[in-house]
Amino acid sequence: MAALRTTSRLFASSKPLFRPAVFARSYATVDAVSQEPNPSETPKIKTFQVYRWNPDQPTEKPKMQSYTLDLNKTGPMMLDALIRIKNEMDPTLTFRRSCREGICGSCAMNIDGVNTLACLCRIPTDTAKESRIYPLPHTYVVKDLVPDLTYFYKQYKSIKPYLQRETKTEDGLEYRQSPEERKKLDGLYECILCACCSTSCPSYWWNSEEYLGPAILLQSYRWLADSRDEKTAERKAALDNSMSVYRCHTILNCSRTCPKGLNPARAIAEIKKMMASH
Amino acid sequence: MASIARQNPLLRQSCLSAFRAPWATKNVAQAVAFHASAKKQILPPLPQSIQGTMNDPAPIPESHPTEGSYHWTFERLVSASLVPLCIAPFAAGSMSPVMDAVICSAIVVHSHIGFHASITDYFPTRRVPKTHTFMNWLLRAFTLGTAVGLYEFETNDVGVTEALRRVWKA
Repeated sequence: MAALRTTSRLFASSKPLFRPAVFARSYATVDAVSQEPNPSETPKIKTFQVYRWNPDQPTEKPKMQSYTLDLNKTGPMMLDALIRIKNEMDPTLTFRRSCREGICGSCAMNIDGVNTLACLCRIPTDTAKESRIYPLPHTYVVKDLVPDLTYFYKQYKSIKPYLQRETKTEDGLEYRQSPEERKKLDGLYECILCACCSTSCPSYWWNSEEYLGPAILLQSYRWLADSRDEKTAERKAALDNSMSVYRCHTILNCSRTCPKGLNPARAIAEIKKMMASH
Repeated sequence: MASIARQNPLLRQSCLSAFRAPWATKNVAQAVAFHASAKKQILPPLPQSIQGTMNDPAPIPESHPTEGSYHWTFERLVSASLVPLCIAPFAAGSMSPVMDAVICSAIVVHSHIGFHASITDYFPTRRVPKTHTFMNWLLRAFTLGTAVGLYEFETNDVGVTEALRRVWKA
């Protein structure tokens, strides 16, 4: 071990003190050092059309701006491409991103006509076709790819997304669930509220002020299905109107678009079943 | 005030615009004129308006005994019953006026509910309240007209199933 360390030290000392900037690897670029150098490799140039709108110039109409990237030097995902555009080409490009692994739901956008998370969406390798990136459809845009989700979160708050319980357990410890009861929450608790499903729903486009939309209804069902929650009747009563749930016409865009592979349409169907059997 | 303005982007915008030079409002007016160029758009969205602060929950729509879960269950029952009702008279081969009456009323109720749902979707109350009311009354008039027409057809003529059979055989 000691010998190894010395050799590695020797190796390290043999390196130049200041490495050229070319080798400094930025977040969204492919590590040039670890990659096999292949001089015969032809650059894969792909065009990205990105929706741009600046609130500081409200007179200007939204436009599509095209950027070209070499896919050999870019990471595999759409978010890598966007980050590379922002880092190296156009720092004014605005979008939300955080975790880059599909767990925060920040980078939800409409890529090639499908609502998805940019970090979970691979860049299509077909360089002949250009990729088109828009913000989530039918949302008020704050800037470029950033939609205003204020009302979405307000709707989320309106369903009281927390455990409501009056009684304590007998031993005063935690509220227990059987494995079967816990199993009912699978496929519900994984939702990250990225709003991909809600903004893909035509019914939500028409009536987003009153219809809750698939994402919020999935969360609503998550609390209706929870065996520990004691306010099921109140929750059902809050949904029992013509707008909250029953604007769902089983279009199923929500289940098709969900980047996490969940099934909001099934949750809504379960809510309707629960409501029908009072 | 500042903290509320920071929380609410709309409020922030309006606060800022209050301090801006007069040409800023002109700019906005220009923008409105510019964006209004696409007049072919049906019911273009209104500017965003959010009631209350960001931390208030969205209001829950009022419930009504004839809307909601009972309505939905009734609608599904009518829809499901239409399937056997449409097959039964032709499968049985007998034309009973009672059966005809049941089919006709089921169809009238089914289409009324269906059109009513379309009106709720496409003519939202908060966006076009007058058109919404007008369309609802128009639908009621049409439903009544259809019901009366079918009644006349059943009592003074051969009836729906018999007519269909004759058209099929013709």
